[in-house]
Amino acid sequence: MSHANNLLVQDCNAALTLQLPKLAPLRNSILVVTGGTGFLGKWIAESVATLNDGFGFGIECHLIARNIQRFSTECPHLCNRKDIILRRDDVRYMSELPRDTSWVVHAAATPDNREHASHPVEIMSAISEGTTNALRLVSRLSQLQMFLNVSSGLIYGQQSLDLERISESTPGTLNCSEPAASYTEAKRFAETLCAAMRTQNHIPVTTVRPFAFVGPYQSLETPWAINNFLRDSLKGNPIRVLGNGKTVRSYMHGADFASWVLTILTNAKSGRIYNVGNSEPMCIENAARMVANCFAPMPEIVIGSSVNTYPHVSRFVPDVTAAQNDFGLSLAYDTQRAIERTVAWHRAISQ
Amino acid sequence: MRTVTITDVTLRDGNHAAAHQLGVKEVELYCTALDAAEVPIVEVGHGNGLGASSLQLGESKDSDEKVLKAARACLKKSKLGIHVIPGFATIEKDLRRALDIGVDVVRVASHCTEADITERHIRFVREAGKTAFGVLMMSHMISPEELLEQSRKMENYGAEAVIFMDSSGNFLPDAVADRVKILVNSLNIPVGFHAHNNLGMGIANSVAALSAGASYLDGSARGYGAGAGNAQIEVLLAVLQRMGHPISIDLLKLLDAVDAAEKAFIPQTPVISSASLVSGLAGVFSGFALPVKRIATQFNVDARQIFFELGRRKVVGGQEDLILEVASELAQQQKQQQSQNQLQQQTQQQNQENNYVTRK
Repeated sequence: MSHANNLLVQDCNAALTLQLPKLAPLRNSILVVTGGTGFLGKWIAESVATLNDGFGFGIECHLIARNIQRFSTECPHLCNRKDIILRRDDVRYMSELPRDTSWVVHAAATPDNREHASHPVEIMSAISEGTTNALRLVSRLSQLQMFLNVSSGLIYGQQSLDLERISESTPGTLNCSEPAASYTEAKRFAETLCAAMRTQNHIPVTTVRPFAFVGPYQSLETPWAINNFLRDSLKGNPIRVLGNGKTVRSYMHGADFASWVLTILTNAKSGRIYNVGNSEPMCIENAARMVANCFAPMPEIVIGSSVNTYPHVSRFVPDVTAAQNDFGLSLAYDTQRAIERTVAWHRAISQ
Repeated sequence: MRTVTITDVTLRDGNHAAAHQLGVKEVELYCTALDAAEVPIVEVGHGNGLGASSLQLGESKDSDEKVLKAARACLKKSKLGIHVIPGFATIEKDLRRALDIGVDVVRVASHCTEADITERHIRFVREAGKTAFGVLMMSHMISPEELLEQSRKMENYGAEAVIFMDSSGNFLPDAVADRVKILVNSLNIPVGFHAHNNLGMGIANSVAALSAGASYLDGSARGYGAGAGNAQIEVLLAVLQRMGHPISIDLLKLLDAVDAAEKAFIPQTPVISSASLVSGLAGVFSGFALPVKRIATQFNVDARQIFFELGRRKVVGGQEDLILEVASELAQQQKQQQSQNQLQQQTQQQNQENNYVTRK
């Protein structure tokens, strides 16, 4: 096993060990993941491989995605396994799911805001029609235990700066008439649709609202601060912090993300909604320092690098009390460790 | 008080006025002087930006590479900026090389309704660790709300600021302030404004933008730029000082730079000619001033009529070939009108003669 793959297994072990007893319902079952080649899909696939290899779970995992070629390139070690089945399909038009499917994680939508800006209609179609079709298909599954809808922490809109953490009961502040709201409004629609299908067709449904993440498999090209810090540092460049560095975020490791999602999938009561993320806030200047700490010599951190300072700061931090109280969920990796593991993986794959 | 960052665009926008003949010599002279004055950003290149030198748009005196290398060598404190319109500038052939030469700030521009085309270029610049701004040109053609929609796209693509251009010098101060306010209130990145002076509003509009919350303003030496020119940078600076805005630029050294530029390469400071005024009223891209003048002479038609027709057709930068088409059609109409007039005159004359014979 390569060093990079070894790191992934270590990450999964660390995150899954914390939840192992709660994941028992997954044993010898079929799990389907739509959007299976995205960040979450890859981490679920890694987790399934770890559960099967290390703990004899016997899960059969079907990853459904439009572009499976990239997965084959990025995760060749998962492609030749019998327990990970790749299927090229568009969730809007797929006609069936494996008959004995027990668990479905519906994660088919890119969170890349550049895509949302350029192709808002396509994004809305993928989310609304994709969720509609996925729910129709699972309504035919006699053994379905739970359909987990992956929504987004962005559905709350702009978090108030004086609100420490945003909870599931916060109503949100979105303006639905703007094209920029295409992703978030579609996600809100998908949540409502899930609720409607639950009450009308008695489909067991739960929803998670993910926040911000870091870890192997996250593209360093996405325009999110932590990825840019990592990219700059790995290239040996100074870390550019746009604005005054006071914007607040929190970061969860990908392995924890998958572990939390699988735990909620197998333990949540139908109809419940959970924030998923790290609840410890930090300003992005500190995140930049954490990234810099992983390198020797430490890269320079340039605050307000964009010639002029940014007028606004924002805050995006979840309240995860519900997930913690209902399932005893905790993190295997705090932000510093998550960043260190990410840097180690990027170094390993570049060797 | 909010910091305002000034970009000097003389060596880029002024190239429209100079038929793109500002080359290495001019760049070396003016960049050295601007660097001494500590102007934050100095933009250089063909009037239509990187990779735009062509028969259709006008050929540059010197290649992009030579100009950028010369500017880079002269700018120590000031940042080196370029204007990039996707389509003219390709990533592999032009942009990568420009970044390798040491460009600091890339202003990726599109027509005000076409922000989508900037995604790849902004992404490339950001991934290269350089500063990327989004620029929306001809912004008078859309409402403030539409401008916000397009700006949001650029923000999502990774632009670190959005600058909207009054490319035809059509705005009045209230319209500028309305747009700046809606952008500042809704975006998470700073907003900038680039003025043209067709209606004599270059400075007034820049001040309106600043008062409404803009953080970036453009100007050029003596206003040297397309059409009636831009906001005159030295005047803009003096006005900002007068308003009490903190400015890092050394005014006296800037005046030295501008005087040197005027002597060396500004044969005629921009004036609001009749054609420019009409161009501003018609909402036509200021960069069309020289080609319209030339083609009007060539076809012996009124340049003002060309501007009005271009405005009616909502022609934008990059559609220079339509100037020929419009001028040709106007010349044709003029010819037909003349023939008709001649025919009418002949008929009238014949009638008069017939009447005379009948009376006799």
